[in-house]
Parts: sequence; structure tokens; C-alpha cells
Amino acid sequence: MSVIARNRVRVSGVDDGRPMVFAHGFGCDQEMWRLVVPAFEPDHRVVLFDHVGSGRSDLSAYDPVKYNALDGYADDVVEICRELGLDDVVFVGHSVSAMMGVLAAARTPGLFGALVMVGPNPRYVDDGDYTGGFSREDIAALLESLDSNHLGWSAAMAPVIMGNPDRPELTAELTNSFCRTDPDIARQFARVTFLSDNRADLPGVRVPTLVLQCSDDAIAPEPVGRYVHAQVPGSVFTQLAATGHCPHLSAPEETVAAIRAFLE
Amino acid sequence: MDEPRRSDPREGPAGLRRLLEDDPADLYENAPCGYFSALPDGQLVKANRTFCEWTGRPLGELIGTRFQALLSVGGRVFYETHLAPLLRMQGMVREVALDVVRADGSMLPCLLNAVEVRDDRGAPLLVRATVFEATSRRRYERALLAAQRAAAESERRAHTLQQVVSELSAASSARDVAEVIVRRSREAVGASGAALWLAAERRANRRDEASVPPLELVASDGIPAGLLEAMEAAALGGAELVRDGGVHTVPRGAGLRAVWPGLADAMAEAEQEALVVVPVDADTRHLGALVLLLGVTGDSGLIDLTPPGNRGSLVQADADLLATVGRQAGQALERVRLFEETARAAERSAFLLDAARLMAAAGDVVETAERLAELAVPRLGDLCVIDLATEHGLTRPAARHGDPARRALVTELEERHLPQRGAPHPSAKAMQEGRTVWIREITDRWLAEVTADPRHLEVARTLDLVSMVCVPLVAGGRSLGVITLCSDRRRGPFTPADVEVAEQLALQVSQVVDKAQRLELETRTSHTLQGILLPPPPPPVPGLAAAVRYLPASRGADVGGDFYDVVPLSGGQVALAAGDVVGHDITAAAVMGQLRSVHRALLGDRPPPSAVIDRLQAVWPLLGLPRMATALFAVLDPATGGLRVASAGHLPPLLVTGGAAELLDVRPTRMLGAPPAPVPAVEWDGVLALGATLLLYTDGLVESRDADLDEGLAALIDAAVRAGTTDPDELCDRLLAELAGGVRADDVALLAITRRP
Repeated sequence: MSVIARNRVRVSGVDDGRPMVFAHGFGCDQEMWRLVVPAFEPDHRVVLFDHVGSGRSDLSAYDPVKYNALDGYADDVVEICRELGLDDVVFVGHSVSAMMGVLAAARTPGLFGALVMVGPNPRYVDDGDYTGGFSREDIAALLESLDSNHLGWSAAMAPVIMGNPDRPELTAELTNSFCRTDPDIARQFARVTFLSDNRADLPGVRVPTLVLQCSDDAIAPEPVGRYVHAQVPGSVFTQLAATGHCPHLSAPEETVAAIRAFLE
Repeated sequence: MDEPRRSDPREGPAGLRRLLEDDPADLYENAPCGYFSALPDGQLVKANRTFCEWTGRPLGELIGTRFQALLSVGGRVFYETHLAPLLRMQGMVREVALDVVRADGSMLPCLLNAVEVRDDRGAPLLVRATVFEATSRRRYERALLAAQRAAAESERRAHTLQQVVSELSAASSARDVAEVIVRRSREAVGASGAALWLAAERRANRRDEASVPPLELVASDGIPAGLLEAMEAAALGGAELVRDGGVHTVPRGAGLRAVWPGLADAMAEAEQEALVVVPVDADTRHLGALVLLLGVTGDSGLIDLTPPGNRGSLVQADADLLATVGRQAGQALERVRLFEETARAAERSAFLLDAARLMAAAGDVVETAERLAELAVPRLGDLCVIDLATEHGLTRPAARHGDPARRALVTELEERHLPQRGAPHPSAKAMQEGRTVWIREITDRWLAEVTADPRHLEVARTLDLVSMVCVPLVAGGRSLGVITLCSDRRRGPFTPADVEVAEQLALQVSQVVDKAQRLELETRTSHTLQGILLPPPPPPVPGLAAAVRYLPASRGADVGGDFYDVVPLSGGQVALAAGDVVGHDITAAAVMGQLRSVHRALLGDRPPPSAVIDRLQAVWPLLGLPRMATALFAVLDPATGGLRVASAGHLPPLLVTGGAAELLDVRPTRMLGAPPAPVPAVEWDGVLALGATLLLYTDGLVESRDADLDEGLAALIDAAVRAGTTDPDELCDRLLAELAGGVRADDVALLAITRRP
């Protein structure tokens, strides 16, 4: 199966522009980038994709063994870049995808020219002096709530995934469509996201790196962003006024400006 | 038809009318659902009374608080990763299930609908949301979910069992069974590691066995080496745990530490919290135990959230599953062992049969030993050494290794390191004590003790041997030698069944070697005797050329009573004789010797051949010779060619003259030593022409198993004619080459005389 179809890869912008690969985090899909992408299309080759198991990727390609670690996702990122023949790639990773960028860059020296980490968190669970933003119990409760499905993370979306041509009224009602995910895949992706520990990989990053830190980000609090900045050699730390975890949606102009300033 | 007029429902009691005319503000505040408005970043700017009451929070406290801050941790993450992005992207969300934390810390399960209010350019201004309480619905969902999970768990266990049963049915060895059980049981209960120990097979009726059979580790998965070692050390004592047939969880606590401190330490080091011991039984017999470890798994790179101390327990359903898996394993092991036993028995029988065939076909002791070693390696062991006691001391006729690369080492062993009597080597011990010595496990220390010198030790080490069995060869209380068989690391140690085969083999070999050694001794004696008894080369006689040949039968053990003689008589005549004593053994040779001596003694007064026969017949009872014999006697005058021949039951002589050959018509009389008959011996009387050759021979030249005597005689005549020679030596050689062949069932004696001018 082609990598392009598997990850629903979309390429836009200019062919001879510097390649920018945008990777969505845990939650929705490549639509998350729609407010920032137009700003880069005039002078970049923009690549969007869905992680396998998310959005409209090929669910049949989902392998629970491969995707039981971020490495499986990092391999896909490398495959996409190779398939498109990219080099000197600017990898923009949101949340957990920032760590996939770290792993992908470590295994293919030279392929990536810059990393932009939007709200990165190398380890969500607090550990001794390290603050990840969540206690062990928090994460356990989070995964439990996901397991029991009652937050509607995925259960309410299941009918959409299955398709329900006989009950169009149901499909019409269930409009949370950008974040649709198979419940089992969503559960495993959450486990991999919230139970990974990539702190040891940070000092090995050898490409120019930007850490974009939001204000009041419950998922990647400021101390975590500062930690990442301190661990990645020569990284740039930019504090955004934007609140929440998705500045590319809530404050696209500020986000674009910070990335452009870093790349120029 | 007119429609019946309906009354307006709003025209009711005055109170209802008033309520319906109330201002929307009251509806907002006291609506049966919570209602709030928030800024795009989630800050609440407005909330109705219902929402305040449901959450137990006054409006003053809510205003300015971010909505996501009111949510459970799961809800907060969902808000950031799903809800907020969806509102931005599609402007609304519907029926999102969330838990709002009330002021008292309790949860308000609810469903939320929200819309994003945007300005003209699409920028977000406000989020409006309604909240419906969903406590009952959530309770129902949870109950549903719990039932679903229980069903899934139950299905998972059933599936595990199904897999185990199907994989066990394909297992063909104890190791296969062990691997299936270890892997599947570990997966089934999420254990960090698993290992299977089985009681070593015991040989029936062995008195020197301990009452508890040794346990052998057959398979393990996921257990670090140090911990596995500690488990091994504790395994034997732990056998008690399987006695009652139940599944036991043994936490790493004071109890465990008191009995096996080393194991407790190793478990602590590997962050393991408990051992689960599962008996592997078949019916009521305990075959072994499956041991699982509960603790930090280290299987994936993901963080383990289970708090330390909570990993070492097993739910009852999983314990029941393991008990069932243990029983399945027991049954599979029984089946596999039965199968292996049958296969081994068949293989053993085939091996012993081959050995018997091989030994029956072997020529002598050394050849037997060599072929046997070749058969034993690799079918029984990797190294086979056979030592035999002979009159010259201990010899090593065979030493063989299955691996060609190691043959040179074995050759060295063969040449240099014969076990000495009294030496500590087990082969010496086996010979001395006349019983099997079985070294189950060869250790380096043991090797150092039994080897003769450093080089011997080096060679023995290189061979990588793990076990050894030395079986003495004994027959009639006599020690004949010893067979030593070794197995190396690749094969593994010998089983009791292997040792039994080695013993049965040794029994067979003992009988063959014993018989062969006796026969060889007898054969050597017979041939020596026969060599002494046969006359020296015929003396030169003027006017005659003579040649003699004697070929023993090709079967080594046989010796014949064939003879010939050429005796010059006074007056220039020559007496000739050829004969054959019945039988092929040492007695026949002895009779032949006596007969020849008596014959010579009778020649003193130059009796005619018929008189020689008559006299021999007459003295036969006096001589006490135990065998009969056929013989041909002749007297030849070299000067005239006068020839007289008489036969006592012997084959007629052949006359070869100028390209023709004929059997002389000598009428045979009874054999020497046969019961008396009225007919006296008769003589043939004729002349041997110049250049003619007279051939005397024994039946070995003309008789064979697959042709009758007439054919043999015809072949002799034919061969003599084709030889076309008057030289007696050449004639003898040609005849033997053509008629005697490589394999002879009987001795052959030839005497050829040619009359020369």
C-alpha cells in the first residue's frame, strides 16, 4: 500500500520551496493545521498527513504492535519524507508529534533541517523532581475515563466511522467529525502518548529546534517547555500569549509569526 | 365537514397564563438544563442558576473561571485535544459526555452541546453551551461497560485456552509443550516472565535415586539470568508447593525471604513482587510446575502506572485459567512422552537389530569393534570407544566421533590414552567392577580427576562432553573389555533408556567377542599345527619336476585335513600321496599328521599302492584315528614312466598329455577307516609318458556349493587343457587361479608331477 494513501498525505505550496511537514498530535487530524498552512504555502512545499489510526488514514494499516511505541509513528514520518523525496525538512510537530520528530531525526541524520515543537511534552507523568503536569493517578484516571468511553472521546463518533446510510439523521447529528477515531485505536494512541518517556532522546537532537510554549497549557505546562528547551542543545524558546494547547487554532497569526521568525 | 373546534391549551388557570407570559430571563435562569457562556479561551462570563445549583458553585465563583478547570482530568485533556479544536473547526459540538467537578468534589456526569459565536470575519467571540445531567445514563453506561468487559475478559480466557489446546496438539516434544505453556500463560495473565520445570525422568528400580526426582528447567521466557538462577536454586525445595494441586501466589514477603533469601533478593532486584506456582499434573501424578513472575514487565517502553506493591496479585479467574492450562500441559506431556517412548523403543530395537546383523557379518574381533563403533555413532552417542582385553593386554580397536572435525582428537585419544587398571577412569572402573558406570553430568573438575595428563584433559575438554556411560563386556565371568559412550552438549545427557540400550548392546558384543576370540585362538592353533604337519617342499628327483600347493579354506576359523606327500624310495622310484581327512578342525589336522607319518613308515619295503591302502585299513583301528579319510597313493618310476595308482575313496588323478587331459580310471575302494568291505584295493597300472603331467588333488578344487562334482571335474579338465603347459608349477598356479577363486569353502591340496627326459 502506498505511504501516501496510508497516511492520506496532502502536498501543497510551491514545488521548489523548503519542505514543511506538519504532524498533528493526539486528538484530531491534519485539519488542525488549516489556519496556519496558508501562511507557508507561498514559499514552502507544505506536507500534511494523518497518523495511521487518525482522521482519514487507512485504518487497515493499523498494527497494534508497531504503534505500541512512538517509534512506529516516527518510522512513518521518515517513510513519508523519503516517498516524497524531501530533504532539509522543517518538521512541525504538535504535542506528542514533537517527540516523533525527535525520534525521526535521530534515525535519519541529514533528512531534517529544523524541528518546530508546538506544546511538546517528553513525559506527561511527574517523576521525582521532573514535572510533567500529571500525577500517576491523573494519568491512570485519564486512561480509565478513556477506557470506559463515557467521555464520548470516541463512542459517540463510532457510528460515523461505521457509516450509517440508513439513518442519515444520526450521521447529521454526529458532527464531531474532525476528531473521529476508532475507539480501540484512540485508546492505544492515548496510552502511547501519555505513557511514553522521551526525555533521554532530547540531548541527542542535532538540528535547530524551536520550542513553542502556550500560556496556561494544561497538557504541556510551561515548566515542561522550559525543560525541553534546556535539554535540546541550542534550541530556541518562544513563549506565546495564546492560551490552551492548540495555538495553531486559537492564535494562528502569532504561531505563524513565531515559526517564521525562527526559520528566518 | 367542519373540523371540531379545539380549545387553546394556554387558556387555563390564571397561574399558568402568568407563567407563560414570564420574561425569558426566568426561563434562562431556571431552565431544566445548565446554561453558560464562555470566552474562546474557556473563561466563564455567564451561567444560569441551574448550572450554579448543579455544580454547587455560586455565580461569583464561576465567573472568570475557565470551564475546563471545572472538569475531571480526563475531561480537561478532552477539552484541550478535542472539544476546543472542534469548536474552532466546525463551530459546534453535540452530546459530548463530560464530568463536571462539583464544589464538594463529587462528579456531575453530563452531556454538553456548544456553539461558537463568531464575528463578521469569523473570529470567535463567545461559546454558548447547554449542559444536561446524565447521572442515570452514565450509571447505565458503566454497568453496560462492566458487563462488556467481563464478557471480553471471559472471551479472552476462553481464547487463550483454545490457543493452548490447539498449539499443544501440534507439540511433538516436551520442549514444544513447555514453550507453548510458558508463552501463552505469560501472555494470558500479563506476567513479566514464566518458566517450566519438569521432574527428570526416572529409571525404574534404581536404588541409588533420591526420593525427590531432580527438576529440569525446560523452557523460560522473559526472566533475567540472575533471577532464573535463583529460581533454579529454589526449585527443588519448591516442589512441595505443587503437592496439593492448587495455584499458589507467593508474594515477595518475609515468608519467602525466610526460606529463600537469595530468591527474594533477585526478585527485588528485578522489581518482581510475586511468584505464581502452577502445578503441571497428569491425573494424580505431578510432572512439574509452571512458575510465573508478577511485577514490572519491561515488555514495552511505556511507563507502568501500577503503583509498586500492587502488581503481585492475580484475579481468581486468571488463577483458574492457569490451573486449567497446567492440567492441559500435563496431559500433553503424557501424550508426548508416550509418543517419544514408543519412537525410542522402535529406534532402540532397530539399532540392536542392526548391531546384531553387523556383528554376524563381521570377520574378526577388530572388524566387529570398528563396525560397531561406526553404528553407535551417531545413533547412540557422539563418541564411542571400545577397549578389548587380549592376551597382549588392553587394546583399543575402535574409537569414533560423529563429528568429522573432531575425529583427529579421537585418534589421539585412541593412540595415547588407554585406561590403565586401577586408574580412576570410569572405563577402568567398569571393567574392574564388572558393572555399568554412568556419569550423568561431566564437570570440568571431574574431567581433571579422571584424565591421565594435561594433554588428555585438553582433548577431553575440547570434545565438550556432557555425559558418559561405560559398560563392561563380560562373558562367562571373563572380562573381555569395555564400551565407552559419550554424548556432547548438542545431544544432551544420556537418559536411562540410552543406558539400557548400551547395556543390551554390550551383552550382544560380549557374546560375539567371546565367540570370536575363542575361534581365533583355535584357528591360529589349527593353522600352526597344519603348517607343521604338512611335508616340506618335495625333494628333487632326477627325471621328475614336482610342484605342491596347499590353500586353507578362506573362512578363518576352518582348518582342513588335506595333505600331500612325495617320498623318494630306494631303487629310484617315488611314492606319491594326496588325501583328505573328514572335517575342518584341529582334529582333522591331527589325523592328517598321523596318517602321513604312518604312510611314510609303511614305505620301508616299497609296497605297491594297493598294499599301502590295505595295510592302512588294517592298522586303522589300532591307530585309534577318530576320523575317516580319502586318499590316493601312487608309485612312479621316473626312468620308465611306470605308474601304479590306488584310491581309497578319493577323486581320480588327472593326466595331462600334449594338449589333452583325462581322468585316470582308478577304481576307488572304501575310504580309510570306513567299515570293512569284501573288496580289496585295486590298482591302475600304466605309463606316464615323457612330458606328461600327473595331477593329484583334493575335492576343494572341484567341489563347490552351487555345482555338482561332474561339472567340477569337467571344469578341471577344461582348465588343464587351456593351461597348455608342461611345467607343474605353472599348471598349479593356473588351476588355482581359475578354479579355487577368492572365497573357498574347503582346503585345496595339489600335487603335480611331470616326467622330464
